[in-house]
Amino acid sequence: MMNSMNDASVSQELQKVFEELKSMFGSCEAVHIDARQYKLIVPSDKTLGMLTYLKSIGYSHLSIITCVDWIDEKKFELVYILFNWSNGATFLVSTFIDRDRPVFYTVKDMWPTAEYYERDVHEFFGVEFEGNENCKKPLMLELWDDLPPLRKDFDPLQYSKEHFPDRTYEKDPIHEARIIRGDIEGDIEGGEIDG
Amino acid sequence: MSEKNERNERNEKNETKTLQKSFFAPLLGWKALFEKPVTIRVPKEKREAAPRYRGFHINDWEKCIGCGTCSRICPTDAITMVEVPDMKQEYGMKPQRPTIDYGRCSFCGMCVDICTTGSLQMTREYIFFSHDANDFYYAPTERGLLDKEPSEIKVGWTRDESSELLDLDRILPDAMESSERIDSFVEFVKAYSKEQAVAEAARCVECGICVDRCPQHMRIPEYIKSIWKDDLKDALKWLLKGDEEQSNLGANPLSGVCGRVCTHRCEEVCTISHRGEAVAIRWLKRYIVDNVPIEEWNDAVSFDTSKTDKKVAIVGSGPAGLSAGYFLASMGYDVNVYESMNRPGGVMRYGIPKYRLPDEALDKDIAFIEAMGVKILTGVAVGRDISFDELKNRYDAIFISTGLTLGRSTRVPGSDHPDVVQALPLLREIRDYLRGEGPEPKIAKRVVVIGGGNVAMDIARSLARLQKMKYGEVNVTLTCLERTYEEMPADLEEIEEAIEEGITINPGWGPKEVIFFPDEDKIKGLKCVKCVEVFDENKRFNPKYDESQVSYFDGDMIIEAIGQAPDYSYLPEEWKAKIQFVGPRILTNNLRQTQIPWLFAGGDIVNGPDIIHGIADGYWAARGIDEYLDSNGNVEK
Ligand SMILES: Cc1cc2nc3c(=O)[nH]c(=O)nc-3n(C[C@H](O)[C@H](O)[C@H](O)COP(=O)(O)OP(=O)(O)OC[C@H]3O[C@@H](n4cnc5c(N)ncnc54)[C@H](O)[C@@H]3O)c2cc1C
Ligand code: SF4
Ligand code: SF4
Ligand code: SF4
Repeated sequence: MMNSMNDASVSQELQKVFEELKSMFGSCEAVHIDARQYKLIVPSDKTLGMLTYLKSIGYSHLSIITCVDWIDEKKFELVYILFNWSNGATFLVSTFIDRDRPVFYTVKDMWPTAEYYERDVHEFFGVEFEGNENCKKPLMLELWDDLPPLRKDFDPLQYSKEHFPDRTYEKDPIHEARIIRGDIEGDIEGGEIDG
Repeated sequence: MSEKNERNERNEKNETKTLQKSFFAPLLGWKALFEKPVTIRVPKEKREAAPRYRGFHINDWEKCIGCGTCSRICPTDAITMVEVPDMKQEYGMKPQRPTIDYGRCSFCGMCVDICTTGSLQMTREYIFFSHDANDFYYAPTERGLLDKEPSEIKVGWTRDESSELLDLDRILPDAMESSERIDSFVEFVKAYSKEQAVAEAARCVECGICVDRCPQHMRIPEYIKSIWKDDLKDALKWLLKGDEEQSNLGANPLSGVCGRVCTHRCEEVCTISHRGEAVAIRWLKRYIVDNVPIEEWNDAVSFDTSKTDKKVAIVGSGPAGLSAGYFLASMGYDVNVYESMNRPGGVMRYGIPKYRLPDEALDKDIAFIEAMGVKILTGVAVGRDISFDELKNRYDAIFISTGLTLGRSTRVPGSDHPDVVQALPLLREIRDYLRGEGPEPKIAKRVVVIGGGNVAMDIARSLARLQKMKYGEVNVTLTCLERTYEEMPADLEEIEEAIEEGITINPGWGPKEVIFFPDEDKIKGLKCVKCVEVFDENKRFNPKYDESQVSYFDGDMIIEAIGQAPDYSYLPEEWKAKIQFVGPRILTNNLRQTQIPWLFAGGDIVNGPDIIHGIADGYWAARGIDEYLDSNGNVEK
């Protein structure tokens, strides 16, 4: 099905969608990624409307919700990736929200899977989704006690040092490496791939 | 159908069902036993990882320079640099290699993306097990974690343009075009703007590889970082005080000079130069000095000194003498510098042309040295105006740094003519003339320069400027024994700039004789023969010529720029006999002490060949003199 349409006809179809979008939502920036992929940048008050509309015309598969931390601009960029099974085209709907007050609305009523994507974005960036009561429930990071780890101001090195103290090993890895390289003679023991 | 029948029937059906199930099901199961499993039987069966897989690391030890950049970027602190015993010690590398703890590594690949040499890579290998935690800590080599033949290892994740973490291109300072710079002696390389300097500073990875190479071991990563933080006073402190915990090692009182004309050996080894252009360490240094007003220097840099009652005399105010004076003053000694010329600075004042080093830059450095308490007595030649023995009686120790003040001649027939002159005195005359302290030197319309080093470039380019200013055109021919630009000792940059300025360079010729116009006491040019070899098998200077190939270079004046020699005539025989010489140079110990305990020496008469070596000599001599005067005995080092 997907391959039955060529790029030219997809592009024609997309052109029509853009025009529709323009008439319905006013200005909306479309960034060409490739023949079947466009990024749409929309103001946050129009995002839900646009998602609803796109879903209704066939862009019904929510592949993922993700986020980018633009720390210098003090913004979070939320990105909804919508896929259309009938023509193989993808829209990346992107909107910018205030980094100091990172709250947006849930889309779990349109896409039940969004509940998990939103939890994921909350966990890694700290964005809250109003209407998703499970939003703050840990998804992967249990007992996390620091800044959300994909925020640019999170310091992974400091975190590792604090949470995982150095252990000491009872071997001299350089000595071993020199034996392996044949620089000096000696024996080494250790794990193998065949266990 | 009765109720009972109905139930029976149902039971029967159920029975056949269970029968069928119990009969066939195991069979299906048995069949599956002989089929290939859907899962992969690790480790008997290996599934190839994706081409960009971030698997176990490998590191080419021949390529790796031990810069430690991988370990500094690692977000999980998984990499520790560990010293490799007996590793050959060379400039531009540290005898250490990275070790990785796979208990910490998150396989993010940043170490590979930043690796300054490209020695560190990731493979597509990912299967390894062991009960011993020690086995997960290793030093990656060419053979990887699994000790395989390098040819059998498939490389995985590789850095590409979008994952590059180094900034490989240098920010060039603005500079005048050759057509503009040839018209004057204005310093033609402009200083960095703040934006340029901060951006250039951001390219440094703080590895310190350059510090080992710098003869004075200046604290390069520290002052570059201060530029990046826009804290120029802190940067200046690093320049002028060095490492306070290590007796000010790395301090350079002539930072303004070095920020312009240092031979910048540090840049040759800069880690970034392996894959890109070296960080512009020299221009960054100049940026610091130029951008802190001299009134604020005292604020940024002060020494706790308690005055001693000991006095030290220094002979010669070149870089070595000024440096020794600065460090001795910082230790509380009373220092007098004797200088035969009218202005302090040695070659920095009278040799290096103004377009590379303007007086103001040198003056700023010297002003601070004097503010430290160093007294410079100019126009006093030791041996002529005051005897060496007089100094010995008046002072507790003496440091000599009299440089190479005598020119050397080719001694070819005709070279005794007054229009055959040596580079050094002529450079001196030009500088005096330009600062309005001397007459105009003789500027010939056509000049031949003999020599392939930086001094030859300096005199050729100075004369080209004077010709352009006086006659409107350049006519300078430079010739030297060395057969190619690469073989010539001058920096390639100097050669390129000289050519841009209209100087003709003819490498590979040896001077034979000066040619005169018939019946006239006027030079016509220089006759040369082909030089086929400059150095012999033992790498000794021993030029060989092919006399059958002859060339004539036209010129009214010939400049010899083939090297300088020391003048020790100020030293009384009594002391000269006690000093040990190696060729023309004086032998000292590490603390620059000669065979005579109270006599220390440095600069071109001991080491050379450049300013920064002179500064390092001054530093070590100051420490040596301090030790000598403290113990009043011999310095054993
Ligand atoms: C033309 C030229 C260009 C150069 N360019 C560079 C460059 O770009 N970068 C670089 O790093 N190096 C350069 N060098 C090399 C560098 O200048 C020298 O290595 C350095 O100056 C040596 O320092 P010094 O302290 O030993 O002596 P000098 O700088 O030679 O100073 C010695 C001083 O001692 C004085 N003196 C000598 N005898 C007596 C006496 N009896 N009584 C009192 N005073 C005396 C002299 O007048 C002189 O001022 C250049 C050299 C030359 C000649
Ligand atoms: S960054 Fe590369 S060259 Fe530097 S120490 Fe690490 S592996 Fe070696
Ligand atoms: S892959 Fe990442 S975590 Fe692992 S050693 Fe390299 S930089 Fe550190
Ligand atoms: S200037 Fe170059 S060699 Fe020196 S610390 Fe910076 S990156 Fe390393």
